[in-house]
Amino acid sequence: MIRVKALSKEFGTVDNGNAAVLALSDIDFEVRDNEFVTVIGPSGCGKTTLLRIIAGLIPYQQGEVSIDSRPVTGPGPERAVVFQNFALMPWADVLGNVTFGLEVRGVAKGESEGRARELIKVVGLEGFERRLPKELSGGMQQRVGLARALAVNPQILLMDEPFGALDEQTRRLLQEQLLQLWERERKTVVFITHSMEEAVMLGDRVMLMTPRPGKVKEMIDVPLNRPRSRDVEKSPAFIEIKEYLWENLRAMQAAQP
Amino acid sequence: MRSMPAAETATKTAAPKTSLLPGALRRWLTGYGLEVVALIAGALVWEGFGWMLGLQWLPPFSRVLEAFVQFIQSGAILSNLQSSLTGLLLGFALSVVLGLSLGALMGRYRAVERAFDIYVHALFVCPSILFAPIFFAIFGLSDASRIAIIVVYSTFVIVINTATAIRTVDPSLVEMACSFGCRERQIFTRILLPASLPLVFAGLRLGMGRAVKGMINGEMLIAFVGLGALAQRYGAQFDAAKVFAIAMVVLIIGLVSNAIVQALENRLTRWAG
Repeated sequence: MIRVKALSKEFGTVDNGNAAVLALSDIDFEVRDNEFVTVIGPSGCGKTTLLRIIAGLIPYQQGEVSIDSRPVTGPGPERAVVFQNFALMPWADVLGNVTFGLEVRGVAKGESEGRARELIKVVGLEGFERRLPKELSGGMQQRVGLARALAVNPQILLMDEPFGALDEQTRRLLQEQLLQLWERERKTVVFITHSMEEAVMLGDRVMLMTPRPGKVKEMIDVPLNRPRSRDVEKSPAFIEIKEYLWENLRAMQAAQP
Repeated sequence: MRSMPAAETATKTAAPKTSLLPGALRRWLTGYGLEVVALIAGALVWEGFGWMLGLQWLPPFSRVLEAFVQFIQSGAILSNLQSSLTGLLLGFALSVVLGLSLGALMGRYRAVERAFDIYVHALFVCPSILFAPIFFAIFGLSDASRIAIIVVYSTFVIVINTATAIRTVDPSLVEMACSFGCRERQIFTRILLPASLPLVFAGLRLGMGRAVKGMINGEMLIAFVGLGALAQRYGAQFDAAKVFAIAMVVLIIGLVSNAIVQALENRLTRWAG
């Protein structure tokens, strides 16, 4: 379980001499085991900052962030991150990228390759093991990013707008595949997004955030049955939540200068 | 949109007009042909001026070629060539080790950069030959003097390029590595080094060129051996043909050493192409 309690994050004054910027203010929420939580909010609300704090990539000043009641002090093997810009190593082929997390943890080459090939298959990239990232489309590159994260068998998957850089068709396809994958693996997922459809389509709950300083405005339950398919988009509950999110987000955008 | 096909046909009809040459010759010229033609033309112009002007410092190209062939046949320059190349190799190797390690530290750690940056840039812009008398005073007429000069010539451009290369590595790759729990050493070996290779090699190529310059300059000023010393001696005898012949040897060393670094670069950074 991920627990975030009274978390605030300020960005420093050392570099620019300006007043400190309060990025996150008094954030409180929990993510249960095997739960899929999507996070949505206007640009600059600190969604990504929040994710990076949970990932242990940046420090925080106030509050508590813990995983299974152990405080987060850095990255850990129970968490893996999927990055918005894929963050693939351009010099390594697909196999080399997917084995990365295993290799740096000292897993033997044979074993890590076997595990990587398995996951390359799961994300539908069989036959592309020896391709370099630049030879792949954006959608394929993010599949590599997903396979790399899953390869280390994390309990928690932290996804930072993973489909944000993809075109609409690829994005929808990957959403559906992620849903199928999640049905099988049932990881705990925190998924940052800009897209209201995506937030409702994927999440068990949607966390709505306010603009800077980022606060949790509301946690919204998504009462849609699983396994979900594209059809849920037509259901009244889906449309209702989506509309509700839009009303809120529009009001926030309008309130900004 | 409607004008597009018209433009296309216009270029199609115009294309054959521009080439007055037959296909085979044109293909040869677009290969290496033009370079060969330029070199031959240069040699002919040189030859012509050499004969016409009859200046002592400008012997005809054929004389230079003659001296060059003679050098090779008699083996007269072999020992000097060998000592020059040994110095170059040692000096460059030392520069690479120094340049890569200092550059990597400066690129990764802001404090190291702030401490060394001013020195590195000062030594980079300062004419390196200024240090020759100092090295001469320290090392005397030994190989160490020549090698030290090569090192000051070539190290700093390698430092600067390596530091820039490491500093400009995509931060999201470092973050990715951190997220998988990489330690600092793993971040260096698995992310920073491979990611910075293309720019590092650009620095190595520049460093190699400067090392060749340092080799000749050092030998001309403070050595009895090496191609530079030989050129100095022939220069003092006003034997311009032999000086030019040595220049040709140096040119070949420069081109070959550059090609070696380039070949290594192509092997290691194929992914960046």
